[in-house]
Amino acid sequence: MIDTLAILINGITLSLACGLLLIVLWHDMRKEQHQYFAVFLIMVMLWNGGALMSQAFALLNADLWARQLAALMMELGFSGASVAVFALTAALARAQTRSFRLLAFVSLVVVLIYRAAISLGAGLPDSGSSPSPFNFQEQPLLLAFYLIFDGATLYLIWRHRRKIRAQEIVTGVGLFVVGQSVSFLNPDLRPYALSIVISSIAALVTSFAILKLEILNPLAERMSQVETIHRVSLAMTSQISLATVLEQIATQAAEWLRAEAVGIWLYDKGQLELTTVHNLPEEYLHRQLALGQGVIGTVTQARQSMHLEDYGRDWGGAPDLPVARETFGSVIAAPLTYGQAAIGALMVIAARDGRLFDKDDVHLLELLGAQAAVAIANSHLFEEQRELAEALEFSRSQLETVLKSTQNPVIAVNRKLDVIFANPAAHALMARELEADNRQPKLVYRLFLGQPQPPAEGNTQSILDTLHRRKDFKFELDVEDTVYLCYVTALRHEDTDGWVAILNDITQLKELDRLKNEMVRMTSHDLKNPLQAAMVNLDLLRDDLQASADEEMTHTLDVIERQLLRMNRIIRGILDLERARTGQLKIESIEPSRLVEETVDELRHFVDEGKVRFEVDVAPDLPPTACDADQIKRALVNLVENAFKFTPAGGCVRFTASAGKHGGVCFAVEDSGVGIPAEAQPRVFDRFFRVNQAGTEHVSGSGLGLSLVKTIVDNHKGAIWLESTPGEGTTFYVELPAGEAAES
Amino acid sequence: MNAKIMIVDDEQAIREALGRKLTRDGYEVYLCENGREALLTFHEKRPDLMVLDIVMPDGIDGLTVCRRIREVADTPVMMLSAQAISEEDVIEGLSAGADEYLIKPIRLNEFVARVQALLRRAQFAQNDQPQQYDDGYLSVDLHRRHVYVEGRKVHLTPTEFKLLAVLMEHAGRVVQQTDLLEQVWGREYLDDIYYPRVYVSQLRRKIERDAANPQYILTEHRIGYRFESQA
Repeated sequence: MIDTLAILINGITLSLACGLLLIVLWHDMRKEQHQYFAVFLIMVMLWNGGALMSQAFALLNADLWARQLAALMMELGFSGASVAVFALTAALARAQTRSFRLLAFVSLVVVLIYRAAISLGAGLPDSGSSPSPFNFQEQPLLLAFYLIFDGATLYLIWRHRRKIRAQEIVTGVGLFVVGQSVSFLNPDLRPYALSIVISSIAALVTSFAILKLEILNPLAERMSQVETIHRVSLAMTSQISLATVLEQIATQAAEWLRAEAVGIWLYDKGQLELTTVHNLPEEYLHRQLALGQGVIGTVTQARQSMHLEDYGRDWGGAPDLPVARETFGSVIAAPLTYGQAAIGALMVIAARDGRLFDKDDVHLLELLGAQAAVAIANSHLFEEQRELAEALEFSRSQLETVLKSTQNPVIAVNRKLDVIFANPAAHALMARELEADNRQPKLVYRLFLGQPQPPAEGNTQSILDTLHRRKDFKFELDVEDTVYLCYVTALRHEDTDGWVAILNDITQLKELDRLKNEMVRMTSHDLKNPLQAAMVNLDLLRDDLQASADEEMTHTLDVIERQLLRMNRIIRGILDLERARTGQLKIESIEPSRLVEETVDELRHFVDEGKVRFEVDVAPDLPPTACDADQIKRALVNLVENAFKFTPAGGCVRFTASAGKHGGVCFAVEDSGVGIPAEAQPRVFDRFFRVNQAGTEHVSGSGLGLSLVKTIVDNHKGAIWLESTPGEGTTFYVELPAGEAAES
Repeated sequence: MNAKIMIVDDEQAIREALGRKLTRDGYEVYLCENGREALLTFHEKRPDLMVLDIVMPDGIDGLTVCRRIREVADTPVMMLSAQAISEEDVIEGLSAGADEYLIKPIRLNEFVARVQALLRRAQFAQNDQPQQYDDGYLSVDLHRRHVYVEGRKVHLTPTEFKLLAVLMEHAGRVVQQTDLLEQVWGREYLDDIYYPRVYVSQLRRKIERDAANPQYILTEHRIGYRFESQA
């Protein structure tokens, strides 16, 4: 009965083992587990083949040597399988050391040779009796060998039962060891047939479990990985929020790695913040970790995954979450990196009694992490882009509102002078012009070309070139009784896209300017006529009185005269200043020495008085300067005259011309007069400002002289400044720019 | 016979004071207060010199009066202005035919001196050397104070004529600005450096073929002027 069952089982096992071996060989022989598995299958085939053959030979009454060969095959296979199952268990539990493969191979060979040697050395048993291969009573060494390997296998299975991911393997290997152990029983019970049956069944169970674990499961997993990546990608591309994408990623990670919990931390401004949780308490959300703090901080900083078999045991640093040490079992943390930057980290957590993650899990998590990183980066980019677009839109609408609400017409044109923007004021202006003059709109041409017609055919380019060269300019334009000051600017600087013109209505300013000029004229006329009348009448009175006037009367007349002259000076000062401010410069090229000479000529009466020493020094080889000679002379005369006035008798006035610092010419007027107190110096160029100090009471003036000088110098784009020490004297400097600068 | 002087000014106080002074100095004085009256008086009295205010209220201003008078007479005109604020204003006045342009306020003594100088200038021709010039295009008789251009008689004001005479006297040589001022206008005028410029350009417009490219009166920049004979 048991023999028939044994034959059946042996046959099934042999064929199935053969098939499985083919599958393993075809699938992937590079993995160590697969290699051990293949060896194990070969051994199973050997012993099953041997068992089958010995049964067959017994039935056929074959020769003794044939039966012995079958028995040898069976024994070798059985012993070899023992070693192979140990190696396979070690490999599955990942408990093998580096030279484990060599060691396993050597043990296998040694065991096989030893077994073969024993079998051959035992000689042939009686022809009548069946061979009894497992006669351990006679072979204590063999018994020890089995005990060692089976014991080691059992220990490995027990020790690493959590690492071996299929319960069936544990069962199968356990059963196999039991099966082998059965053969240790009393040989009278014919244990070997039973042993072989049990072992064969165990081998089949183990083999199928391994097949499922190593080949079928990975295939299924790969399917689900593809599915997961697909789902994550979908989540990323559909424009759902970052929070949803991260939640999906966390859920996927938990499902995929069969983890109890998942957390995703995002890095922002030096802090890592827990932003997504899966199966973790909600109150942990938004907890923060510094860079380098906890597993997450370390992983983010190093940008390298970390795998801990037991968080409480293996992690010595600060805990990532409050009760991590007490509740977390195996964990994997993977950084989320985008380009070179770490943007966060992802952690999958198994409970303390949950599964242990392995290397494959780390790779899976890294894969998921990469996806998550892309999703986060995308979302950030999207968010930034949205914010940027919003900001742009905001400022654009703001600018448009400003342009629309302003009363100044603004018109922009492209390179072909087509209007690309015009605010309501500009539209109104163009409409008004069109109404008044029922022809083509010409404002654009007047604005940008300075002519009312479009450029003539063929002439367009040269006109545009001219416009292009000018880039920025301003001019006055009359449109329908309104005067505009137009500013035209190129729309972009390197390569002009067009031009924009801003028109300022200056009609009122022009009118005011005209009124002011009118008033100055009127004032001068209305003041001068009474002054003239008073003066001639005073002169007439003096004439009348001539001899009869006493000293007191003469003094009174003198006072009247002085006051009238002073009034005259003030009026003249105002008019001179006005003229200098509004008059056009008549620029000509003139030698500085000539300016000095003519200035001195005009002051001849002061010089001839001889009360003050007068020195003139002109540096040789001064370049000619471009200026309005009359105006500059006027300024210099004013300065030198002042120097004479404020220098007491016996003092000295020096008038010099030298090379200026910036290529122009620098005039200096130095006196040894009373000087100007420091606090008054900034104000000396103000209109009507006069320094009240001892020693200057006798000096008359309008208080407009220096103001006039400054206006003239400013008109020439020159510089004027002074140095003064009260009691020692004052020096005024006037520097005119080099010729070209003044002309521009 | 005392010279007859007309004073035209809308400001009574000025008009009367100037008039009193000139009367006291022995001139025969006529006072007018507006342009219309001035023109009437001019035609009636034929004065030897006219003192003319520019801004007057009744529509005919000093410039207009001066131009009207120039159409018929060479009478010396001295303009008084309270208004001039630029050289252009002065030049406009001189262009209208005035011999003198004074900016108010002016002192009485200076005024009298200028009146005397102007009268002197107008009378000079009688004392001068007789001199003739004729090159076919331009013909000048200094003695009779006649100037012809292409046979047509040209009216020159006394100042213009004196300027031409001084330049022709030194034909071929440069006359310096200061010399010109002294000889034509008088010592009192040495500071009025723009007088020669304005008068030369007036003169050129009257006698040159092309005033922009003069052939007779040439400018020596910043020095003076030179008459170049074309005969």
